[in-house]
Amino acid sequence: MSATPNGTPANGNGAAGGYKWHNKYPHLGTGPVSADVFTSQEQFELERERIFKKVWLNVGRVERIPNPGDYFVQDLAVCNTSVIVVRGKDGAVHAFHNMCSHRGNKIAWDQGGTCQNFTCKFHGWSYGLDGKLKFVPDEESFFDLKKETLGLTRVAVDVWEGFIFINVDPNPTETLPEYLGDLATGLEGYPFGEFSTTSTSWTSEVNANWKVIKDAFQEVYHIAFLHKRSIPDSFTSKDNPYAHSLDVTLYPRHGSMSLFGSADYKPSPVAKLAAQHGEIVIRSDFSMDGLPAGVNPLRSEAWSLDLNVIFPAFFVDVSQGSYFTHQFMPIGVDKTLWTSTQYYTRATTPGRRFSQEYGNVIFRDIIMEDGRTFEETQSMLSSGAKKEFYLHDEEILVRHSHHVIDQMLKGQPVDAAFAANGKEAASHA
Amino acid sequence: MPETRLPEQFRDLEQWIGWSLETEGERSDRRQASAMEDITAFYEAMLARMDEALSYLEQFSLEELPDDARRLFYLTLSLAEVAPAVEQFGQPSVVDGYDIKRFVATHR
Repeated sequence: MSATPNGTPANGNGAAGGYKWHNKYPHLGTGPVSADVFTSQEQFELERERIFKKVWLNVGRVERIPNPGDYFVQDLAVCNTSVIVVRGKDGAVHAFHNMCSHRGNKIAWDQGGTCQNFTCKFHGWSYGLDGKLKFVPDEESFFDLKKETLGLTRVAVDVWEGFIFINVDPNPTETLPEYLGDLATGLEGYPFGEFSTTSTSWTSEVNANWKVIKDAFQEVYHIAFLHKRSIPDSFTSKDNPYAHSLDVTLYPRHGSMSLFGSADYKPSPVAKLAAQHGEIVIRSDFSMDGLPAGVNPLRSEAWSLDLNVIFPAFFVDVSQGSYFTHQFMPIGVDKTLWTSTQYYTRATTPGRRFSQEYGNVIFRDIIMEDGRTFEETQSMLSSGAKKEFYLHDEEILVRHSHHVIDQMLKGQPVDAAFAANGKEAASHA
Repeated sequence: MPETRLPEQFRDLEQWIGWSLETEGERSDRRQASAMEDITAFYEAMLARMDEALSYLEQFSLEELPDDARRLFYLTLSLAEVAPAVEQFGQPSVVDGYDIKRFVATHR
């Protein structure tokens, strides 16, 4: 990777400098993306069966359920289910389909809380935090009821760095560490726990396909235009006017992009105050100390933050002092539950809390700019007027994501092409 | 209502007490519902007193803010709320933004 002396990524994209990211991952090709992947009901049903019902999905963090009996409910329309995630008496996190064994009623009708047992409101069947069926009212009138076989149906669950993932496949083909792979290894050691003692979270039901939303958050090409008011000089500079990224690393399914941060950034009066009193996401001074190898992988002085896109629809975007996540849960082909969360170390002083509030507001307002495009785009996709879309070299995570989805829907192993590319890339080096 | 709702040395900010709101949702609603000239006047008045306000507040921990200091603290959070309206957008709402009423805060 070449960089100018001040750390600005060389404008290597394009014919003159070679296509930087395409050259690194040539197996993705250069062709367009088909427009109907965002509107096809048939495609959505295949995504449901071959992706969302097969892979590990993030459903939140452990801080949400610190004590035994604490639980929350994650509705997973895309997996045709609702899941209870609970902290057991053993201290471990358990997950169950939110469904009574008696006649199928949903056990928890609320979104979360604390309890000793899960009791069905229909006929009073009661289950322990471990999912075992504990009590059946008027049990004597049942016929050969084998209570030990009638617990709540377990959903595979595991925790990585405090992030809870579930997999509704009754027999997951991979463990969570296998699924997250090298992306996770590179991030381990980042103080996720310390930075997660306060979180601010927003959610919205968006009338758009989940990939429209995901794609909007996994490229930098839009920054100079869509965000020209909110962050005119944070990710762009005179030498890097199009916010070209510092680095891209693709994995068989996941992808990371390390973003340029501009030394030209001129904080506004309130941004200056906020920076004096605490951390804000985009800051011009930071230290590399303690960052794991997967964060700011080039150790660039012109770094702002890294996008880490965990397939299919979970982002862990890390910066110095705080991080944020995006989660996109499909509801239907053109409906998605969008959740964005910003995480901080709990402030103990008013000044630091003020600084975090400024960070929240800026983050929220920036993603309001992103958000506008979702439904505006989806509303036109259904016209069918365009058959395909052309991607920029900096949109390689978008290209990669569509490639992986395409492979999975066709039942092709995602690793094969990637491994072949690895050999090719090595031979080019 | 008590006669002085803010610490004595910040009485000049009393006229902005309506911005002393506990939650982001309340602060955001007020920003969206306010005229730009009111937002700008509040911004300017607060910004001029921020160094003093934050210095004053630093004597307390967040959990132990007296009521008058807490009201002042909420005013500083409202400055954070309106800052982008003044500094970035020149209008209360995000220019060409998603409908913020549909972006629901699930924190306080």
